[in-house]
Amino acid sequence: MRYFPLLTALVIFLSSFWITKRELHPYKLEYPTSFGRRFTIPDDNSTTEEGVALGRMLFYEPLLSSTNTVACASCHKQANAFSDDRQLSIGVSGKPTRRNSMSLVNLLWVKNLFWDGRANGLENQAVFPLAHPDEMGQSLEASAKKLAKTRRYPSLFQRVFGISSITGEHITKALAQFERTLISANSPYDRSLKGETTLSAAEQRGRELFMRGPAPERGVRGGNCAHCHGGAKLMQEVFHNNGLDSIAVADRGRQEITSDGLDNGRFRVVTLRNIALTAPYMHDGRFASLEQVLDHYNEHFHFSPNLSHELRISHNEPTGQRLGLTSSEKKDIIAFLRTLTDSTFITNPAFSNPFETKK
Amino acid sequence: MTPTSIKLLLGGILVLLFTTKELLAQTLSVTGEVKTPLTLTASDLHALERTEVTAKDRDGKEHRYAGVALTAILRKAGATLGGELRGENLSKYLIAKAGDGYEVLFSLAEVDAEFSGRTILVADSVDGAPLPQGVGPFRLVIPDEKRPARWIRELKSLEIRFAK
Repeated sequence: MRYFPLLTALVIFLSSFWITKRELHPYKLEYPTSFGRRFTIPDDNSTTEEGVALGRMLFYEPLLSSTNTVACASCHKQANAFSDDRQLSIGVSGKPTRRNSMSLVNLLWVKNLFWDGRANGLENQAVFPLAHPDEMGQSLEASAKKLAKTRRYPSLFQRVFGISSITGEHITKALAQFERTLISANSPYDRSLKGETTLSAAEQRGRELFMRGPAPERGVRGGNCAHCHGGAKLMQEVFHNNGLDSIAVADRGRQEITSDGLDNGRFRVVTLRNIALTAPYMHDGRFASLEQVLDHYNEHFHFSPNLSHELRISHNEPTGQRLGLTSSEKKDIIAFLRTLTDSTFITNPAFSNPFETKK
Repeated sequence: MTPTSIKLLLGGILVLLFTTKELLAQTLSVTGEVKTPLTLTASDLHALERTEVTAKDRDGKEHRYAGVALTAILRKAGATLGGELRGENLSKYLIAKAGDGYEVLFSLAEVDAEFSGRTILVADSVDGAPLPQGVGPFRLVIPDEKRPARWIRELKSLEIRFAK
């Protein structure tokens, strides 16, 4: 038993190596206290530095598509606040997608994802674009097999999840971890709230119009935008019909999920953070510019049966049917919307393509 | 009649039919910490004891709302109200949710008429007429609140939970 001390030392050395190998570092999600903690991270997918790094690689990984040419990032481009500048996106089939690619920002606080709220939680959301024949067109099982054959991924999945073989479930878990870190809270508007900068006169006028509902009987003018797009995150998780069509037929929106006729043509009320970067607008990308969007809300929307109540009742003129802002008021609101662009978000190296960092 | 006006008329009738049909199909669910979860239709609501309140809506005008007291609905579901609203039951709350996903919270104690002395109404009519689409078929009316932000339109569900 001469070698016993030596063997013991060896065992301790090796086991400590094994433990450190699985030791993960919790990722600290940083956001303003005003954003609140009304979010849930699944117990079986806590956010770690290592998991986020893996998720980031997968986000930019074209092997997850049937043609090895399309990654999540193909239609969610950082420069466009993780949206697509195309009206409809083009995936592996070459056929346009059904809806406009959504901006991926502050998803930590979103429970039901997509324009129609069909997926509960980011882990479940990722399954849809990965498998859809007009998006990435590849089953999770096929993706897992492809990644297993690479030199890079098996050890990374082992490290993050402690698994010996890659599964589809762990692909979506890693992607969800990365997506939770896509937090944008550093626009000129945010800095103005902290007193670090001041908005210009036009931006300030636009801010007031944005935040206020009109009350012509009291001489108050407003766009009432914040009624739905308000709060610290400039979003609420609600689904509204904003009068794009008199009755939505081609795309019924949330009705397709709930089968409730009152949900006809209802779509997610999106966050307006980085809105100047995410053109074109609406679920079908029908508006190319913010000017067109403002014209819609101000002058053109249809009085669909389930039109959002606030659109129906917000008038700046006592006898008005629609919003009735002047063209200079619309310009002021757009000036304010441009202050919601967070340039640090779209240039943050932590969110960029990890395969291009050595440029 | 010109072809355009006929088209408009037909369109109008279509929208009206659509509206009526959808409103009639709506239900109100009561779930969570209750003895008997409920799914109530408009006619179920008519069969319960009716209550009326007069209250100022956001237009600043007084309106007469009719419907059923929220307490009566919660009692029908077997929520812990009245004498049972004591001890740990005072840490229960109610989430009221609208069709568009908007939700607001009440403590169970504040909605119980016997406890708080206030009447909250699940209204289905205003000034003698059914609530219009976009507002109805059910709406919460809370007469004594200065801001109507909890007067949920298109009320879909009431869920009682324990604060944990």
